[in-house]
Amino acid sequence: MSKEPTLIEAHNLTVVYGRKPALWNVDFEIPGKQVIGIMGPNGSGKSTLLKSIMGVVEPTSGFTKVYDQDIDDVRDRISYVPQRQDIDWDFPASVWDVVSMGRFAQRGLFKRLNKEDQDIIAQSLDKVGMLSFSKRQISQLSGGQQQRVFLARALAQQGELFLMDEPFAGVDISTEEMIIDLLKEMKEEGKTLVIVHHDLHTAQSYFDWLVLLNTRLVASGPVSEVFNDKTLSDTYGGKLTTMSKITQVLENKEFPIRHK
Amino acid sequence: MSFGAEFIDYLNYNYTLLIVTLGTGILCLASGVVGTFTFLRKRALIGDVISHAVLPGVTIAFMLTGVKDPLYFILGALASGLVAVWVVDMVQKHSKLKPDTILALTLSVFFGVGIVLLTRIQRSGNAAQSGLDSFLFGKAASMNVLDVQLFGAIALINVVCIFIFLRGFTLLSFDEQYAKGLGFKTGWLKTFLSVLTVLTVAIGVQAVGVVLMAALLITPAAGARFLTNSIRKMLLFSGLIGAISGIVGAVISSTGTGMPTGPWVVVCLSVLAFIGILFGKEKGLIARIRLRNQNKTKINNENVLKALYKMSDDGQSSVNLNDLKKHDSLESLPVQTILNGLRKDDLLELVKGQVVLTEQGRIASREIVRKHRLWELYLSKYFQLKADHLHDDAEGIEHVITPEIERHLTQLLEYPDKDPHESEIPY
Repeated sequence: MSKEPTLIEAHNLTVVYGRKPALWNVDFEIPGKQVIGIMGPNGSGKSTLLKSIMGVVEPTSGFTKVYDQDIDDVRDRISYVPQRQDIDWDFPASVWDVVSMGRFAQRGLFKRLNKEDQDIIAQSLDKVGMLSFSKRQISQLSGGQQQRVFLARALAQQGELFLMDEPFAGVDISTEEMIIDLLKEMKEEGKTLVIVHHDLHTAQSYFDWLVLLNTRLVASGPVSEVFNDKTLSDTYGGKLTTMSKITQVLENKEFPIRHK
Repeated sequence: MSFGAEFIDYLNYNYTLLIVTLGTGILCLASGVVGTFTFLRKRALIGDVISHAVLPGVTIAFMLTGVKDPLYFILGALASGLVAVWVVDMVQKHSKLKPDTILALTLSVFFGVGIVLLTRIQRSGNAAQSGLDSFLFGKAASMNVLDVQLFGAIALINVVCIFIFLRGFTLLSFDEQYAKGLGFKTGWLKTFLSVLTVLTVAIGVQAVGVVLMAALLITPAAGARFLTNSIRKMLLFSGLIGAISGIVGAVISSTGTGMPTGPWVVVCLSVLAFIGILFGKEKGLIARIRLRNQNKTKINNENVLKALYKMSDDGQSSVNLNDLKKHDSLESLPVQTILNGLRKDDLLELVKGQVVLTEQGRIASREIVRKHRLWELYLSKYFQLKADHLHDDAEGIEHVITPEIERHLTQLLEYPDKDPHESEIPY
């Protein structure tokens, strides 16, 4: 039997903000599974992991690969949904303006969007039930509607791998149901989904593969093997005492975490 | 002197005046357009830092070359402005200092050095230094036609660059992480935007001076933001506000009364921005006050209708006007005025001191009672509130419930017929 191709690989990934490690020696390989969850408590590096995979933050050491390649070589196959809360929604833009950003990857900085792009934008909006809101100023949207707009923007990118940062955070129930339906549909279309998630109750039903983080990697494997009391208490039971002591010294005494 | 020569002098003077005025307008237009992105990226204070930081560049350029050439000034200003931006970024990255501290420090260090150098030049008695003073408060009239042409050209190039790179700059300002995720070179875009900003500041200080430049960069955008929700229109309005202020400032300072340009430009800017803040279509102060007043009228009307509904037995009987005025819920309300308004809308009739709801009025009053009781039921079901805590909340929310929310409520509560106080919910 040949080895399954690797979807995402993180090799000794360490990311330090200022002097504080957000990810520390995280090392895993995810085979070609379809729905992958990244879970962990607040501040455990979930978003940082996603941003490192996307090449949005530079790793302090180590690297990540997608489809066994450098991210820059496969960007056109990846759609990205950043965290909704990171953005100032009082920006002068309409729903349509935001979703059309999804087409910029194809069109670059200067080329005009053509009829095909317009159609794709409209379809993407329709899929998340926001087509009738396309002229709405984005500051007037509810949290759930903002999330739908971000999903539509990612859909408009037409990737095959979707990286989503907390798509369920702070949305209303009907939006949550809509997102679940959308994810199911995407799965049936053969898309791969990587989702940063925080709700333990739904983890087992959503994901095939789980990455559990708490600054360090706690576990990475099929949900059936990884989702158990031991790993969950390792993940959510707080930081390791030794680790936080070392972090303190790193931060206060100006030691580098890596020598290069 | 012959009349002809005098006339030519007059024309020349007016020609110069026209060129300088137009030039100042274009400089300020560019500031409005470029400054829109400074504003949208929440970097208003960086604008202030840059404008103060160009001073050492200008003075050093003068000391090195010994001539008052605008091209050298601009190069000097560009260099020291970019150094300041770089310093802010570096210190932010490598120290624990908070951003406001870094900005305040960088601004005062650069400006202090600039002032020291400027004083040295003045002490040296260099005849050509007279023009340097105008960098502090700006003096459009001291520009000659050649200066204006150079500055105007740079300003126009800046504006054109902003529109060519509009997509990139918008994406950068709205969602930098996503821009990176799409594979755009955001570092390059940021640097380019910084260069445009510093260039705009370098030529803008000729008109309004170092001290007031930040206002020229930020005020137009702040005013324009109230006028529109589209970034293209915002750039347009912002540029326009800048251009008008620039022209007004130049005209006033050219009257020869020794008025500096900068302060007048800023006064004009502030007035225009204030007009924007007042009269903005949706976000403007007046629009919001009007909306609040409309809501108040709606609330008053609905409260009177609700009282009528209860007193008239579902609008079946007439109600005595004096009894209505004495109703508990209508205390301290101008009941007569409200009734007149409702009569105009054909919701009720006034006959000999008696109030009678029309068919329309009956429907409207029933609707408000229904919303009140639906909300009470919703609260008691979902908020864990006791029956005597429901009324006050519903008094407020009944006016807010839209038809869409009402439909949602009735579905959610499965078309209830009784509220928590066992009163009937009328449909």
